[in-house]
Amino acid sequence: MKGHLQASRVLEIVPLTLVFAFAAATASAHEAWLLTPAEIEALVAEPMPALFASHLWLGVAAVIGAALTMIALIAEDRLRPHEQRIAAPLLAGATAVGPMLLRFGMAIMLVLAGTGGLPRHGTALWVEPTLLVPDMQLGLVFGWDWLAAAQIILALALAVGLLARPAGALLIGLSFLGMMLFGAPFLAYAPHFAAPGLILMLSGGGAMSLDRRLGLDDVLLPSPAALKVGWRLSQILVGAGFLYLAIAFKLTQPTLLIAILDHGNLPTFGMPQPVVALIMTGIEIICGALLIVGRLTRPVALAIIAAITTLAVGLGETPLFHANLYGIMVFLLMAGPALPDARVSFAGYRRAAT
Amino acid sequence: MSPARTARNPSFGLVAAMLATLAVGAPLFNAEGAPPRSVFLQLPADLPEPQVSLAATRTAKGYWQLRIDADGFRFTDLCLSDAAAIPVGHAHIIRNGVKVASAFFPVVDLGQLPPGKHHVAAVLRGQDHRALVGRSGLIKADLLIVVPESRPDSLHAADAVAEST
Repeated sequence: MKGHLQASRVLEIVPLTLVFAFAAATASAHEAWLLTPAEIEALVAEPMPALFASHLWLGVAAVIGAALTMIALIAEDRLRPHEQRIAAPLLAGATAVGPMLLRFGMAIMLVLAGTGGLPRHGTALWVEPTLLVPDMQLGLVFGWDWLAAAQIILALALAVGLLARPAGALLIGLSFLGMMLFGAPFLAYAPHFAAPGLILMLSGGGAMSLDRRLGLDDVLLPSPAALKVGWRLSQILVGAGFLYLAIAFKLTQPTLLIAILDHGNLPTFGMPQPVVALIMTGIEIICGALLIVGRLTRPVALAIIAAITTLAVGLGETPLFHANLYGIMVFLLMAGPALPDARVSFAGYRRAAT
Repeated sequence: MSPARTARNPSFGLVAAMLATLAVGAPLFNAEGAPPRSVFLQLPADLPEPQVSLAATRTAKGYWQLRIDADGFRFTDLCLSDAAAIPVGHAHIIRNGVKVASAFFPVVDLGQLPPGKHHVAAVLRGQDHRALVGRSGLIKADLLIVVPESRPDSLHAADAVAEST
């Protein structure tokens, strides 16, 4: 009986937590443009919720967050053998399917950005080419129009998997260039484009890539030590990206987050909106921090995949806004805390898991 | 792993330290209570605040022209990704709650308006499209245009009313 009660409690809590986690991971820079003129007029007069300006309440929230993190870390340690067994098929496909999906995700974002096919809310389709994301219009930076064509060429290379590792390096270069051209606003995006670039440099093109067919997969092939360090660095980049978004757009701008919740009619489960906003913020901070320390990689990736999808539906946005994150998260979900060696077979992983 | 060992784990320590730092730092940052900087560009208190007023006229062909008089504000069609907090930029034109145009110059063509009441507002925006905020909120002006029921070919400017609200 007790077991049943616990199970039903878990069934209540898990979806609730996931919805918050999902919502938490997405409300980034571009969502601000969804707000209507009336919502913007109301937003300017919104006072800072007391919850977000109180050392006491944020301290309590931090203690609760730390306690939940500890429970999750203990659970990960205890359930690791089960995770390894369940994830063995995913792990076996990680070096083939993971890079392929990541390439496709990045190619979609690049080609849409280069053609103006992923415009900011309120901007016409195919009019304003951007750099990687809808907000960063190339028309704002004089003399860099050629980046539209460069992104399309890079997208084509990624789509067919030609020289995927050098293409990954170029993607990192574009992320740095974005920060140079657009300044601080690009910080919201750069880690989530540099990270897939780095991952592609480590993994190569994967399945259905010309690199494999043409024997080009060894171009810029990293050493095993570089592979290990690079994989950790990519997780740190992804985690830092979420941490930055959580702090810059939620913890220090909670009224904007609440306005977006209102705009999307997202569920609050009867709780006051500032509490929901704080829970969302806390979950995103913890998810980012866990990726930075390289723990609970798969649960965090799963939560973020669901988050992106739920928010896209809730706010009526295209999921293509987050194609890069889908690619990264699916790869993290498959590979887990360590990027597998492509030479180890599926049977080998199953043996290792058992 | 036991809770005691987990508590000593560097991963947990780092996450806990991050949370503690944010719990201490965020209230200090949020104490100012400024509107969200992703959407609003707060003008410095020592700058004179622009004063905006609107006037609308109808041409002989029935088109409406909106004139924005913005003292202390300079219109520009040069947009930036990260603008300085200065009274330079453009205006968003909102009609009946919907943004209908970006005004990079002080005269805007609203086109033909159907009969009825039209609440028109001009909200000043910075060069990065964020809404300018002064000491008393958004820097804006409103106008009510009332277009009478009549056939387009018999419209006269005197039939319609445009008044500040």
